[in-house]
Amino acid sequence: MKKRRKNREQETGKDSEAGRTTLRSTMGPAESSAMDEQSGKSHAGRQTRPGLQPLLSPRRLVLLMISAAGLWAYLYLGIGPGDLLPGTGQAKALTGFFSRALSPALDYESGFVARDAAPLLLNALDAARRTVVFAAAAMSLALVAGVVLGFAGSKSWRDLQGRMAGGASRHLRIRSSGFYVAVRMLITMMRSVHELIWAVLFLAALGLSNLSAVIAIAIPYAGTLAKVFSEMIDETPRDAARALSEAGASGGQVFAFGLLPRAIPDMSAYTLYRFECALRSSAVVGFFGPETLGKFIKLSWNENHYGEVWTYLYALFLLIVVVDWWSGALRKRFAA
Amino acid sequence: MSERELKLRGLRDERPRNLFTRWSLAAFAALVAYSWNSGEFHASQVFSQQHAANALRFLTEITPYPLHGRAFDPGIALKWALELWKAHAMEALAATLALSLAAIVAAGLAALPMSLTAARNLAGPEPFIDSPRAPGWAARTIAAVVIGLTRSVLIFVRAIPEYVWAFLFIGIWGFGPWPAVLALALHNSGILGKLGAESIENLERGAPTALRGIGAPRSSVAMAGVLPAVMPRFLLYFFYRWETCVREATVLGMLGGVSLGSLIRDARAANFYDEMIFYVMTAALLVLAGDLLSGLARGCLRRGN
Repeated sequence: MKKRRKNREQETGKDSEAGRTTLRSTMGPAESSAMDEQSGKSHAGRQTRPGLQPLLSPRRLVLLMISAAGLWAYLYLGIGPGDLLPGTGQAKALTGFFSRALSPALDYESGFVARDAAPLLLNALDAARRTVVFAAAAMSLALVAGVVLGFAGSKSWRDLQGRMAGGASRHLRIRSSGFYVAVRMLITMMRSVHELIWAVLFLAALGLSNLSAVIAIAIPYAGTLAKVFSEMIDETPRDAARALSEAGASGGQVFAFGLLPRAIPDMSAYTLYRFECALRSSAVVGFFGPETLGKFIKLSWNENHYGEVWTYLYALFLLIVVVDWWSGALRKRFAA
Repeated sequence: MSERELKLRGLRDERPRNLFTRWSLAAFAALVAYSWNSGEFHASQVFSQQHAANALRFLTEITPYPLHGRAFDPGIALKWALELWKAHAMEALAATLALSLAAIVAAGLAALPMSLTAARNLAGPEPFIDSPRAPGWAARTIAAVVIGLTRSVLIFVRAIPEYVWAFLFIGIWGFGPWPAVLALALHNSGILGKLGAESIENLERGAPTALRGIGAPRSSVAMAGVLPAVMPRFLLYFFYRWETCVREATVLGMLGGVSLGSLIRDARAANFYDEMIFYVMTAALLVLAGDLLSGLARGCLRRGN
């Protein structure tokens, strides 16, 4: 490849260009093709031939690797489309379930219902309300922890602390980097464990209650929020922060007035998106006991009451649609 | 009032304000306040002497059992971990990885065509360029139906969490990899399809408009003008969703089946809390490795563009 490039350069003449080949060969294919374009522009008529572009662009390489990985996965799991053809028992469940997709139950499908049970639709409404309540509670905890950790784990904060310490005290600078690394590790630990695994851990350690379910959801959500917030804070332009810092503002002031206002639109949009995810998580946590939508999906399914399952599925669907619309509308206003 | 104060007040009055944003914020705050006052949560559910005792007992039980009643010995702990790894964890780890890969590839393949038919600029009655005559009602209706239908399917499949899909599919097909793969693929195709459609709608109009202008049919505009341009974005989303796929794949095993989740569930059911913690940590490491790998791939793609 290297040799071919060199030949090409020499064919096109100009000694000065040949001198660049060493530089080019050290670069990745993408950068060098960008340079080809540039030189093509500046020396019109001496454009490089497209046929000589590297065979595997990064994108093709990635696509190839994805295909290989996918192939390996199906072979390893030993599954093929044939396994999806339903046997007789499966066909019954399959048609039984999907035939009710457009006719969700409006009332309980069996006569055996506790006398004081609420009508199905009211029960679905109440489960949906509880799903929202769990999600909002979890999100409020996650938001507080996520903002604090996100700030503490941002590069801007580390650099700010380091700069405040100045060149005078190496000890302080090391301490701020140490603090940064510790916070990043905490964030990573929190979000690498799935909320349902946290729920199982709480189940084993404390017994699962409504509050521990909410905390189980809040921990990984706080980690994810903190990670994304810290990236957003680091991506905001630092001009205002620098000006404030040079005018003598304290670290907290620089953060609150120099960095935060610019990062807030992105952060709120992301928070709403995570709220949508929290709704799903809080529904699923119902499988482990709390009376959110997941619990009733499980109960109705186990009784083969497919129509009721669809009622609860549609309730969850409506919740998500509302939040999706809300966050979309907000994002549009932030962008404007 | 000094001139400076007046100016400050003027600037304050001029700041951008938005009623909808404010109401949203207030509504969210009210929702949170209501949630904590809804009577569902009490501090005693987590903080009580009983709970503290349980937690303490739990903490003593998560040390590897060969170490119980003796001083910590890293050699014994390592041997214990290696045995668990060889006996169960390695296989479950590979299965979890395979689940996530199989699912995300299927999701990507399903989402790509759906994002084409969900994009309002491409699937609309007049893709990219206005014809001199207004489109007939038939063309408008067909476009509206296609876009509306695709979008409703996308939002429905992504509204239902992977875990619920997997639960339902296990009920239909029984235990095995397919329910997990289908569940992950379904939910993620909804998300990838939505993100893909949004990227198509935000594309620069140059190339597709030019193609359309020289008379290319919609399919050619899609294949030659839209897909190549949207591919880098789509791949970024693909890897971002693969990360979550790995995360979810670890958990789906708790419903039964092949991933790390099943080991975690079984260890908990048997009260082998030391093993449970070991599998939890294995799962966390897998998620971490997935994040790193996906970050690398995304960096590579970004540099390629």
